[in-house]
Amino acid sequence: MLLATYDLWSFVSENWRELLQGLENTLKVSAIAIAGSFVIGVVLGAARAHRVPVVSQITAVYVEIIRNTPILVQIFLIFYALPQFGILLDQFTVAWLSVMLWGGAFNSENFRAGFEAVPYRYREAGNALGFSPRATFFNVTLPIGGRIALPSSINTYISVLKNTSLMYVIGYEELTTTAINIANLTLETLEALTVLGLVYLALVWSLSAAIRALESRLALPEAR
Amino acid sequence: MSTPAVSTAPALASRRRLVTCLVLGALAVGAAYVLVAFVIHWPDWAEPIARYVLTVGLPATLQVSAAAVVGATVIGIVLGTLLTIGWLPSRALIRGYIEIFRGLPILVTVFIVYFGLPALTPSLKFGPLTATAIALILWGSAQVAEATRGAVQSIPREQHEAASALGFGWVGRHRRVILPQALRRLLPPLVGLLVNIIQNSTLAAAIGGIELLQAAKSQSERLTFFPPAGIGEIHAFEIFAGLMVLFFLISFPLTRLAAMLEKRLV
Repeated sequence: MLLATYDLWSFVSENWRELLQGLENTLKVSAIAIAGSFVIGVVLGAARAHRVPVVSQITAVYVEIIRNTPILVQIFLIFYALPQFGILLDQFTVAWLSVMLWGGAFNSENFRAGFEAVPYRYREAGNALGFSPRATFFNVTLPIGGRIALPSSINTYISVLKNTSLMYVIGYEELTTTAINIANLTLETLEALTVLGLVYLALVWSLSAAIRALESRLALPEAR
Repeated sequence: MSTPAVSTAPALASRRRLVTCLVLGALAVGAAYVLVAFVIHWPDWAEPIARYVLTVGLPATLQVSAAAVVGATVIGIVLGTLLTIGWLPSRALIRGYIEIFRGLPILVTVFIVYFGLPALTPSLKFGPLTATAIALILWGSAQVAEATRGAVQSIPREQHEAASALGFGWVGRHRRVILPQALRRLLPPLVGLLVNIIQNSTLAAAIGGIELLQAAKSQSERLTFFPPAGIGEIHAFEIFAGLMVLFFLISFPLTRLAAMLEKRLV
């Protein structure tokens, strides 16, 4: 049986440089996409919660399109179809751009729900204290609604991290592509898949452990 | 089982709204058909590609999705119900299964099934579409198990006690009393799961399974070849945007349905 030749240690010691480079690319793409989807989420979520005309309707359409089509088709559209209009993006740009647009749509729903959950009387109190609408948003709605939206938005970030594995289809050398390429080269398929699975589980599990720790720290006083 | 009409007015209103939506949807589809068939002139290359994608790709996508959603639901409900038993070893095992398959990117699960299992024993060699369906079952059953646990635990303890008092054993109690009630709460997440599974069935394209996405991709590549095979033109945008519209038409009514069920049942 092939199991007899299973040697995880020698696989790692021979390929750790490439795997580390892949992991670095995965983390780089995820970090850019997470930061971008946070900004998109807060801005568009606020626009929807405050029913800013035009912007909130466009956001609704954007969210429905992203949520109701497979992310793989979105990636293909950006990677294979945009060059038709002379927009040629390299794999790295497509990688962070596509997961950022995807995460941003989900995140704007998270933040919309969070901002809408802030009781209206809090905003009234802000007005009564003489805050401008913008000051009310930054001092009242954002801190409270942001905390309400935090757990669901971190879940979106975890999905963003997991979705960077889809960049395999456009050949961007992140962790999944690297591991599968090494497996094809060395035929050490089981070792490559073991490393791949363990690294993703370590990332995802530590991120969800971080949510739980953060959740109890940032929880609203009245919810505690 | 007839439930007393507690509030017929909202139910009627929402039914009327549903009918309105259906009528408007049918009108929109009809108008789109007339527009496409008689007003817009299709380019010559479009028709064969649309036919290929719809007759080869669409059935494959639907088959994979149907198999995956049925498998995930059955396995997930069983695992989720077993998870409510306090016995530590079984709970740890199922919890591990759930955390692993929810934690892995689905593409990695697809690779484990498609590349990893045959490397383990050659008898576990599957085609790309079957491998995708298996991976989606592993992922989906973990999702369903987690939802089932919550739904089963939300049924009040008195229901368990009453069923036991009537002489039901553990299996009969869950099958006849608890799960039928839990299923009501499970319905909205199950519709959501169906949407996710239909969308994620496109992962088969990464391992060469010919479903909607792979069919569209191969055709858009073929068009770029010179005349005997293609026409030497790039039409990737039209093809992938059309595919996006198709997925939207499938998913959007289902996500609306899930939202409506959520509002009505819970």
